[in-house]
Amino acid sequence: MNLDLLRSVHVFPIRHHSPRSSAALRAFLEHTRPSLVLVEGPHDATHLLAALVDPGTKPPVAILGYRVDGEQGSSLWPFATYSPEYVAVKWAAERGARAEFIDIAIGTALAPHEGEVVGHEDLDDPGSEESWAPEHEADEPAAAVAQVQEEEEEAPRVNVYQACAEARGFRSFEEFWEASFEAPAYDPSSFREALIAYADLVRAEGDRLVHRARDAFMARQVLERIEQGIAPERIAVVVGAAHAAAFAAGDVDLSLDECLPAPVPVAATLIPYSFPRLAEQLGYGAGNRAPRYYQRAHDAGCDFQRATLEVLVEFTEHLRLRGFMASLADTIEAYRLAVRLADIRGKAGPGLDEVREATIATLCRGDAAHVDGFLWPAMIGKSVGHVASRIGRTSLQEEFWREVRARRLPASDAPESFTLQLTNETEVGTSIFLHRLRIGEVPYPTYLGTQRGLGGRAARAKQDAALDTQAFLSQVNEAWEAQWTPATDVALVEKIVLGDTLEQVVTRALGERLANAGGAGDAADVLLDAVLTSCPVTVSAALRACDRLAAYDDDLPSLARTTSNVSYLVSFGSTRSRSSVGDQVLVPLARKSFDRAVLRVRQACTGDDEAVAPIKGALRTLHDLATSRPYLDQQAWAEAARDIAETFTVNPACSGMCCGLLYLAQKLDEDEVSRIVGLRLGAIGEPLAAASFLDGFLEVNALVMVKSRPVVEALDAFLAGIAPERFRETLPVLRRAFSRLGTTERRYLLENVLVARRIADRAEAAHIVLLEQDRERLVAMSDELSAAMDDLDELL
Amino acid sequence: MTDIRLPAEVKHKAELEALAASDNAPRPPGWRLSPRAVETYVMGSDTPVGGVLITPKYIGDRALVQVAIATLASDRALMLVGEPGTAKSWLSEHLAAAISGTSGLIVQGTAGTSEEQLKYGWNYALLLAEGPSQKALVPSPILRAMREGKFARLEEITRTSSEIQDALISILSEKQIAIPELGEGVSAARGFNIIATANTRDRGVNEMSAALKRRFNFVTIPVVEDLEQEIRIVTRREAELRSDYQVGVEPPAELAKVLVTLFQELRAGVTKDGKTKVKQPGSVLSTAEAISVLFNSGILAQHFGDGQVTPEDLVRSLLGAVAKESRDDVKAVREYCETVAKGRAGLWKEFYSAAKRRLNP
Ligand SMILES: Nc1ncnc2c1ncn2[C@@H]1O[C@H](COP(=O)(O)OP(=O)(O)O)[C@@H](O)[C@H]1O
Ligand SMILES: [Mg+2]
Repeated sequence: MNLDLLRSVHVFPIRHHSPRSSAALRAFLEHTRPSLVLVEGPHDATHLLAALVDPGTKPPVAILGYRVDGEQGSSLWPFATYSPEYVAVKWAAERGARAEFIDIAIGTALAPHEGEVVGHEDLDDPGSEESWAPEHEADEPAAAVAQVQEEEEEAPRVNVYQACAEARGFRSFEEFWEASFEAPAYDPSSFREALIAYADLVRAEGDRLVHRARDAFMARQVLERIEQGIAPERIAVVVGAAHAAAFAAGDVDLSLDECLPAPVPVAATLIPYSFPRLAEQLGYGAGNRAPRYYQRAHDAGCDFQRATLEVLVEFTEHLRLRGFMASLADTIEAYRLAVRLADIRGKAGPGLDEVREATIATLCRGDAAHVDGFLWPAMIGKSVGHVASRIGRTSLQEEFWREVRARRLPASDAPESFTLQLTNETEVGTSIFLHRLRIGEVPYPTYLGTQRGLGGRAARAKQDAALDTQAFLSQVNEAWEAQWTPATDVALVEKIVLGDTLEQVVTRALGERLANAGGAGDAADVLLDAVLTSCPVTVSAALRACDRLAAYDDDLPSLARTTSNVSYLVSFGSTRSRSSVGDQVLVPLARKSFDRAVLRVRQACTGDDEAVAPIKGALRTLHDLATSRPYLDQQAWAEAARDIAETFTVNPACSGMCCGLLYLAQKLDEDEVSRIVGLRLGAIGEPLAAASFLDGFLEVNALVMVKSRPVVEALDAFLAGIAPERFRETLPVLRRAFSRLGTTERRYLLENVLVARRIADRAEAAHIVLLEQDRERLVAMSDELSAAMDDLDELL
Repeated sequence: MTDIRLPAEVKHKAELEALAASDNAPRPPGWRLSPRAVETYVMGSDTPVGGVLITPKYIGDRALVQVAIATLASDRALMLVGEPGTAKSWLSEHLAAAISGTSGLIVQGTAGTSEEQLKYGWNYALLLAEGPSQKALVPSPILRAMREGKFARLEEITRTSSEIQDALISILSEKQIAIPELGEGVSAARGFNIIATANTRDRGVNEMSAALKRRFNFVTIPVVEDLEQEIRIVTRREAELRSDYQVGVEPPAELAKVLVTLFQELRAGVTKDGKTKVKQPGSVLSTAEAISVLFNSGILAQHFGDGQVTPEDLVRSLLGAVAKESRDDVKAVREYCETVAKGRAGLWKEFYSAAKRRLNP
């Protein structure tokens, strides 16, 4: 093959998602009028090009390539309307030219090579290298989007791109790119020269072997077309700048494509993509800090100034709607300041950084909040693309979109929250659908929790001992948040290997969890999930596992969780079917795990602070269950809890908590509680242990505790009695304990301290003063009062 | 001591002259330097300009200084807002010095600032003797700035009364001051502008009228959150003060780190590792305050110590600064020492024992 022929074809360098590249490319194509347009993109996805330019397809969309041999691995090739690859293919369709992809196959890009996958990122584009490196996808394909971002933040890479930008006085590569390539109004040939010069520079920094292998692969593809008889002058090649530079320099070693690994088995499809995903901070490719802004510039014929003015006018209207003073004069000043800033920075025109800074200084009067909260998201946009119906979808995608449409669920790439009333058959169905997605790990829904119907009472419901559970559950509603992202469709395509329906996918996932369950609690979690997702097979299997594991489980939190989940189901029948399971199965299981838990309370409470942190949660759960479920042995619980409250051989925080719980449930009367608290906080004990007891005690319900006069008296005596040198030691624990008090609790505490110090006659006056929050006056009132204030002040 | 505090344009005369000599870029009307050269003056330069090293004045975000300069190059006035001690006045002084050649045309905003201080007053003896005349007129710094096409500085604008703020609106919108007594008015020569500063602790910025706000572009000067950055600022400024005043001893680097860490943790109400909550003092522990605490401990060491700056000196200087604010703040420092400083190694050990001695006499 004759490499020299490469120089006779029309090679045009581009950067992904660059409006300026697209504008220059379109002019270039109009000028050279090729009959064959060869584009960088996986050659085995050429059959998708017809669907890509179909009028029914609205970018942003992406080619999704994924492995079908049971191994994890997938990758995305996204397109916006302003992406030069899309412009090239579209141009060919409009002018009757042929368009083909010429890059390595998807299976090659996904094949492992020297510890990573081959990938398809371009050398000249730092965005793809840093933010959507295929190795992340390899282990967790669907959830990769969010995760990649986190990892990226942890290990910012200082690289040749950043260095290149900094050497020229820019803060970031994006700023450098914008100032050097997007903003100046290039003609095609000067753009081409400038971009190739830049790519040469990057190439000189060292070329990964796979990049050079891809150079070779693509060059071979071009040369083959020429051998087939197409005149080189009739061919345009649209490739990343570094590949173009290699072609232009004739620096291609055709033998290198042999070092590429054999392709793995894959399939490819076209899926919707979105602006937020295109944005640099979230995903693939650089140059898209602001896709919607770039789209505007593209729509205005690559006029960035016009795009800037448009977003500023839009922002001004936004501010006005929110009741802020913002005039057109401010808008104009923002624009002018951005231009002056660009000038000071030696740029041809303002870029995103200048717009941001100028807007803060003018329209926002120095406050960045609105810019970050509105202007920036508006620049990014939230549009979701659409794929023409000719592209076949997997049965999971069909199911998903059918349900989303029918149930009117959110379908945009922005979080939306809503509440489901589970009294309604349809909404129960929606709930099952969302739970299936959640458990099947299809990124879309976020479960915000279960609330009681009457909003404000939700929090209190937990503490109401004599709760009518049936009524409670029949009123249950669920709060959700949902957001479609491309990762949703990626998962739906990939999960097809796990099942043809969501129910199959979930049954399989839950089955695996059950097989790995370490204790009864884990199995009980699966049980609940199986009911929530309406998977009858798994319900029965989970029940059997629970029963079996509960007989050996010694872990208090696990047993408490089992009791809680199973009891939850006992009263669940009213809102959704739990298939064939009846109370005759559930109640004995709940009793079994509960009884076992009660026997293990004492042992569990002996650990240090760190060890008992989860135990405290279990104690509360057991207490709530014991006092609300008639079929559980309330008496046994009360005895166990009292034992913990009284004994000095367990962690004092647990004693405090049990004491508080019993008092709250009126299983301890005022006399008993003041005796126990007095003993714990009395002078003989360790202040540190006392403070820890107090912490557990107040954790239960601070308000009730500080309203009890005997409790406060004991507390006050304790505080006054700690020796000053010990006081500091206990301060952190005390501070934590008292941080549980809100303003109301503090007021009660103070009032009761005043009473305890027999200055009650002045308490009324103090009360008024406190309401006015006039500390000065209070201190002036009396020495006693001020001493009391001082002690408390240390803490509150 | 006050004599040594030279205005920026005098202290950095050599730098300003060197910058002017090698500055070929276009200058906005009335400016002594191009915007780029002003930026270099404020931010400093790694390489000497015309043989003169340009020292950094404001240490921080370059973009913010660029926004300030770009604003001043238009007909909008500049408002620097932020917490006390963040270098608002400092930046204002250097900008005025570099652009207008003088930082001295300054009006201090207080509740009592009068319209005379904003516009003009009279020499009453002359006024009585000769009647209204140019000679009897006492121009305000703003009037002088207008005549000469320079920058006037208005400090703590939010402390002035609303009448004064209204008067300022007409000065800024009309760019002239009428003197009816003389039947004339003074219009601003090109190059005139105003740099105002406002303290966010005063809570006055929100109450400024919309009409006045509209005359300004706002630049918020942030409190430094990065530990290393604030240490750089504090040690650099402390060294400059020491050389300006020719007093004090150089403190060890670790001591500056202790001080700045303490300031940042008390400011944030939590330790750097996010593990321990600490009581926040009511008063502002600004960067400026940290500089003066460190500087003063060097003086204490020179006069009362053995010439080495010790944690003891730092504690004395620190308590001097904090105690003058309030008793509550001393409490906060004491608690900080017990809960945080006590458990730390290195100079913190000495710092803790010194603090314990001083705090519990
Ligand atoms: N980022 C900084 N760079 C340089 N100096 C600083 C910085 N922050 C504070 N300073 C110093 O602290 C002092 C700030 O005081 P000042 O300008 O009066 O503060 P403000 O006007 O904001 O209350 C000056 O001496 C200044 O040198
Ligand atoms: Mg000031």
